[in-house]
Amino acid sequence: MLIQTTQLRKDVETSEGILHILQPTSLQIEAGETVAIVGASGSGKSTLLSLLAGLDLASHGDVSIDNVKLGDLDEEQRAKIRADKVGFIFQSFLLIPSLTALENVMLPAELAGHKEAEAQARELLSKVGLGDRLTHYPNQLSGGEQQRVAIARAFVGTPKILFADEPTGNLDATTGHKVEDLLFQMNQDSGTTLVMVTHDSELAERCQRVLKMDAGQLTEVTRDVA
Amino acid sequence: MWHKISWRLLKQELRRGELTIMAAAIVLSVTAVLSLALFTERLQAGLTERSAEFLAADRVLSSRRDIPQEWLARAQDEGLRTADRVVFNSMAFANDELALVDVKAVSDGYPLRGKLRTAQQPFAPDQVAQGLPAEGEAWVAAALFQELSLSVGDSLEIGNSQFEVTRVLTYEPDVGFSVFTDSPNVLINYSELEATGLIQPGSRVRFNVLFAGDTRDLSRYEEWLRPQLNDDTHNWRSIEEGDSPLARSLRRAERFMLLASLLGVVLAATAVAVAAQRYCQRNYDVVAIFKTLGGQRAQIQKIFILHLLLLTGFSIGTGLLLGWLIQGQVVDLVAQYFDVNLPAGSGRGYLLAAGTGLISAVMFTLYPLLRLIEIPPLRVLNREMTGTDRWRWLHWVASGGTIYLLLWLYSQQWLLSTALFAGGALAAVVLLFVSRFFIRASRQAGMQAGSAWRLAMAGLQRRAQGNSVQMLSFSTAIMLLLLVLALRHELLADWQEQLPDDAPNYFLVNVAKDNVPQLKERFAQRDIAVNEMYPIVPGRMTAVNNVAVVDEVSKEDNESDKAPSSEQREGFGRELSLTWRDTLPPNNTVVAGSWWGNEPEPQVSIESEVAQRMRLDIGDELTFNIGGQVVNVPVTSIREVNWGSLQPNFYMIFNTAVLADFPATYISSFNLPEERKSELYELFKPFPQVSLIDLDAIMEQLREVIDQVSIAILFVLILVVVAGMLVLLAQVQASMEERQKELVILRTLGAPAKLLSRSVTYEFLVLGAISGLIATLAMELSLYILQTQVFELAATFHWRFWLVGPIAGAVVVGTMGRLACTRLIRRNTAQLIRRLA
Repeated sequence: MLIQTTQLRKDVETSEGILHILQPTSLQIEAGETVAIVGASGSGKSTLLSLLAGLDLASHGDVSIDNVKLGDLDEEQRAKIRADKVGFIFQSFLLIPSLTALENVMLPAELAGHKEAEAQARELLSKVGLGDRLTHYPNQLSGGEQQRVAIARAFVGTPKILFADEPTGNLDATTGHKVEDLLFQMNQDSGTTLVMVTHDSELAERCQRVLKMDAGQLTEVTRDVA
Repeated sequence: MWHKISWRLLKQELRRGELTIMAAAIVLSVTAVLSLALFTERLQAGLTERSAEFLAADRVLSSRRDIPQEWLARAQDEGLRTADRVVFNSMAFANDELALVDVKAVSDGYPLRGKLRTAQQPFAPDQVAQGLPAEGEAWVAAALFQELSLSVGDSLEIGNSQFEVTRVLTYEPDVGFSVFTDSPNVLINYSELEATGLIQPGSRVRFNVLFAGDTRDLSRYEEWLRPQLNDDTHNWRSIEEGDSPLARSLRRAERFMLLASLLGVVLAATAVAVAAQRYCQRNYDVVAIFKTLGGQRAQIQKIFILHLLLLTGFSIGTGLLLGWLIQGQVVDLVAQYFDVNLPAGSGRGYLLAAGTGLISAVMFTLYPLLRLIEIPPLRVLNREMTGTDRWRWLHWVASGGTIYLLLWLYSQQWLLSTALFAGGALAAVVLLFVSRFFIRASRQAGMQAGSAWRLAMAGLQRRAQGNSVQMLSFSTAIMLLLLVLALRHELLADWQEQLPDDAPNYFLVNVAKDNVPQLKERFAQRDIAVNEMYPIVPGRMTAVNNVAVVDEVSKEDNESDKAPSSEQREGFGRELSLTWRDTLPPNNTVVAGSWWGNEPEPQVSIESEVAQRMRLDIGDELTFNIGGQVVNVPVTSIREVNWGSLQPNFYMIFNTAVLADFPATYISSFNLPEERKSELYELFKPFPQVSLIDLDAIMEQLREVIDQVSIAILFVLILVVVAGMLVLLAQVQASMEERQKELVILRTLGAPAKLLSRSVTYEFLVLGAISGLIATLAMELSLYILQTQVFELAATFHWRFWLVGPIAGAVVVGTMGRLACTRLIRRNTAQLIRRLA
């Protein structure tokens, strides 16, 4: 089991008392699986994603990645796990505006201390079709191009898991589809586990599993397999 | 690997102009400090060298006894030039007449600073003298020509020696400003001194050694010499000490430059502080991304510390280069304008400037950087997250400590630094409250106004906390600008007053009582305004409360090294010029006791510094020997005297009852333009005994020094203005970021650009106007304290600034706000939204 949660819960304190934004959730994700988490805005999808990726800590219960319990780790150790095993793609791309496309893609590999960061980054950028835009800054790229850079960045450390938060949310339909295709293609090529938050049901349908989040409650959507 | 990332970030950000404000703030602080430090140091050295002419040397050691030869040898070993000058009173005989003269015997090299000037005939045009009187010759002041009916070529007898009068002495650099007590001067060669037979144990002689040389050599020598000096017999002087108008002007200018530079440093540091905050805020997302991508805390720490150090290093380098260039330009300008060469500056300025840049950058970034490192990775999903606030106390401690440290580093004066810092801190707290109050009040005013106004006022109110901090930096910047401006104005006005165009350039001495009406009439005929005539009676103070004062080195004293006993006071060692009058002279203020008016009982009023030095108080009875007659008078008032005015000033003033019956001569002063100088001979022909003292040369030098200082002050002012502007710019930039989100939303909702830019402009206009008003208030208070406590000036009210402050604040801050806003609004809405995403 690559990702496992047991009775994972997240509460936040508000002026009107404690708010349970994630109800106790148990979940297992196998290596190589592609999982979509769907649900309305504010249903708790992103909270779950942040807990699974170790960006935040649960109020109760725990998350294990590769049999390592994230709750037992401090911020530094969790960062190490992310550096070694996790890649991210965000709705708003989150590229560093002052670095070029190439430098943005190199960054995670460099942070993890990989020697061949640059070569790897060049290869990935040409794979996503941006081999000729290496020295461009994010603001010189279109939204679709920026997300392709983000995808290249996500794959640079050959992560085991890829977390994607509304990866096409900021893109028009045509560009969105192209980015989706690229994402799934690369995921398939590298055999990465994909956990994706989206409210695009069409996109969710491309995943092997779909989980639905409703008011902090997670349920598995069973699908008719044709 | 982290250093590569750090370097890459810096390189790209610099290229893209993202670090401009932060870099500019550091560059400016370094530039300002370096150019100020170098320029003021060089100017100071130049001025001191220039004004050293008034001493004829850089330092003078005077003594009532011969000065040990080994002290001179040591000075020469240290690389200093020396010259001997021995001054004493003696009777001089010529043409069967006699007069009391000041004899000055000088050795080769004299004067070490400045030039002697002589003429062929009295009142003839003079020129710079080459060398000194040869053996058997004497150069004699014009006054003595009249007194002894001398002509060039006549013989003058002093002691056992006969001298041939070969030239008229017109200007001696070290003649000083105390022209009233001096008898006419006779200059002879030092080698002739012994032959006169006048230097005997017990004679009233002042031995002086003049020193000139490099500042460092001088201070080294001074360090060696000081412990060996005996305060009772030796007096070590430089031009900055003393009471001459020049010394006062220099001290005042020095204080002004120090203060203005300090304010400039504080402003530059404030700009760094504002920029540092922004620098860190810009990087919140970057850190969150780094952490999400697996960056370790230590890695991120290293990346940003190196980033900051590289940026600081780059900015310090640029600042040093700029500062060096700027001060060089200004020095060249000054040198061209005044025909002076300013000596090279020392390394201290460079160290100070680099230190200021480094300390400001590191200390002001400390807290924002700590916050930055603490940014949680979750920010990638929740943009509101800004991490912990638990280090806020550190921010205040670090910022306050830094400002204090910089003040001290620059001034090296604990008291001044502490006073400025405490005053500033207090002002900041008051400003914070006052600005809150104004913001609240402006809300009330804004409610009834049109929609751009309403938007502006609502904005002001909503951001009250942020705004009051912004207003604090706006107000501080404006206040410091106004302060420097007003102070410069006050100083220049004061100097102008001290040296008006019609300031007296001649003094009349030795006018007989009978000649006074006649002399006045002749002046009136030629339409020359002559000032008040002061009667002078020479007299010697002999006792205080019936205890004799120690007045001169007696034979016994000379043999034993006996200092005066504690009850005994040291006297003046010379005759004083005593005067009498019914009214308090101008430029005098009674600080203790009361002025006599018409009271007939004998009494005396003494000058405050004399009173302090001689431990005299109201009610003490002083004994004077006036023309062989003993006179006892009680002290009934103590006066403060403005020695800066080129007016006759007196240590002792009596009421009419005491002195009116003694034979007196009169002194006065008048102004005669250069082109009418030729009339002097005709004017004074009927009064051969009257002596005339020409002050033009002294005044010319004084004017030049003041002009140079004024240029320096202007330069300091410009730097302070630039620093102030940068603070305003940095602050407007920072606050635009806060407003950005709101503007984008309003823009997206279809608000017309005009409405938005107007509302932002109004908001900044109001902020600027209120800041300007608060700044004026603070400036007026600070100025009152500075004028009365630091600069020895009369306090004044600056009504013009009450208009200038708020208007300038509104215009400058409003314009900057508008420009920043226009740039933002010019982008299309999609771009704006993407910026915020």
